[in-house]
Amino acid sequence: MSVALFKKLTILVVDDSAYMRHLLMTLLQALGVKEVLLAINGDEALSIVQTKEPDLIITDAAMMPMDGFSFASKLRSIRGHALGMVPIIMVSGHTDIASVERARDIGISEFLSKPISARGLYERLIQVLDRPRQFVETPTYRGPDRRRRERPFEGEDRRNSIALL
Amino acid sequence: MIERRPLSRLAGDEARNEAPPLDVRFIRVPSIAERKLGSDYVAPMRLDPRVLEQMQTTIRELETKYADSLKSQIAMLQVLVEPACRGDKEARERFYMLAHDMRGLAGTFGYAIVGQFADSLCRYVEHSRDGDWRDGTVVNFHVDAIRDAFENPGTDPAITMETLNALDRLIGSDINGNGSQRKSG
Repeated sequence: MSVALFKKLTILVVDDSAYMRHLLMTLLQALGVKEVLLAINGDEALSIVQTKEPDLIITDAAMMPMDGFSFASKLRSIRGHALGMVPIIMVSGHTDIASVERARDIGISEFLSKPISARGLYERLIQVLDRPRQFVETPTYRGPDRRRRERPFEGEDRRNSIALL
Repeated sequence: MIERRPLSRLAGDEARNEAPPLDVRFIRVPSIAERKLGSDYVAPMRLDPRVLEQMQTTIRELETKYADSLKSQIAMLQVLVEPACRGDKEARERFYMLAHDMRGLAGTFGYAIVGQFADSLCRYVEHSRDGDWRDGTVVNFHVDAIRDAFENPGTDPAITMETLNALDRLIGSDINGNGSQRKSG
């Protein structure tokens, strides 16, 4: 079933490393992905999505001039269009907690640390393709629900909104 | 599709008359699998061992090419280290880009130790000041460690760990004074 799905996908890979682009493209092609679009930074990626809408984006974090965080942030700011909610997997060698939290707060769907493994990539692809988290829009955040587990809140309700539990 | 989430089981009757706040919206995103496959969709998707094996084979096929590329990159690091430490901005940028590439790729292709030394080097460079470059000790130590890890992949893991800890101590005092030690395994 998964192969049938991959054959219908268009995935945009954004990375400034030629070898990493090649690696990701080859792995996606091994999965049977129909079309892999490549961009070397956030600026080029933004140009591409204006003409071709990918089903999924895999982006590096550290790039020049526009990095993966700014690129993702610009995408998430697009309202009234499916592109604003496109799943984004961030692949990064910056695995410190601050970088991961920044990615989460920008609205990244999944974070994959480098060095990547076949299993790690495959698992995250399945996650975003088949089990997307609901999207949340607030005045300060737009992206997948940052809560991965639904647990009842047992503290004082300071939001006066029980329905949000 | 905009969806109001069902009320929590913890919510009392008073909550049923209260609309969710206008400034928070939950939107159910249909799964791409469901959207693309339509009636062929059978949930849930699972990790297919044959597909995974195919991906791993692809990585193994790229390993030889990567080894050649890594060898060239390490040679280039050795060439760039001197002008970079002297203050050549372009050399520093290229030097960092090479180390950054190694950090991201070496581990995928079986050079985990090279990747760890490259990661340590990147962290050092990201936080370094001009004086750190000009001294050059830490940068050169990293380049030697990367070259050694590439040329002698069978090095005793205990020695590798000790070297990484020594590098951590060297850069830790400069970056954040973090004296924590790596643990093997």
